Amino acid sequence: MTAWFAAAAGLLLGAGLCLVGALRGAAADRLVALELAGVVSTLLLLVLAEAFGRGTYADLAVVLALASFPGGLVFARFLERWSEPDGGGPG
Amino acid sequence: MITQAALLAAGVGAVLIACVGLLVFPRAADRLHLLGVATSLGSVAVGAAVVAREGLSSTSLKAALVAVLLVALGPVLSHATGRAARIEALGDWRPQPGEEVHQQ
Repeated sequence: MTAWFAAAAGLLLGAGLCLVGALRGAAADRLVALELAGVVSTLLLLVLAEAFGRGTYADLAVVLALASFPGGLVFARFLERWSEPDGGGPG
Repeated sequence: MITQAALLAAGVGAVLIACVGLLVFPRAADRLHLLGVATSLGSVAVGAAVVAREGLSSTSLKAALVAVLLVALGPVLSHATGRAARIEALGDWRPQPGEEVHQQ
């Protein structure tokens, strides 16, 4: 087992911790856990590409880094509008 | 080899500390600091480990691109999320009456 597979295992453990964090708290608290999970997954894909020796797999990490950003922004914007007094949400 | 392992350990260690902190800090405002740890320290260290192993190649360029993207976009995400968390908690992002505001 190389250092890269060990690093991937560590990042996988971190993704599991993010999942636990995303199950508890208010919506905004969970959103931060989701965003952290996106960062962890991006680095996991990068490390796995290096562990398997397939450079093309690193494309997935680039795509996830680009895609998780607008995803987090959309969730944050939705949360704002949902929480406004006339936003239709519980607040 | 030692450099790669050290950078990798530093990056994964930073990310794991951030993930464990997620269970320690229950509030979004505290958790956002952990997101900063992962996007700044973690991504740069892991990206540097890949660059140290690969030298100059397409894979190392992708790793550098991932690190730059996470470092550049992380604060934007933190700002938007912090604003949303404040609006969710207080109904408005502005300082509320009775709230202590630190003036320059």
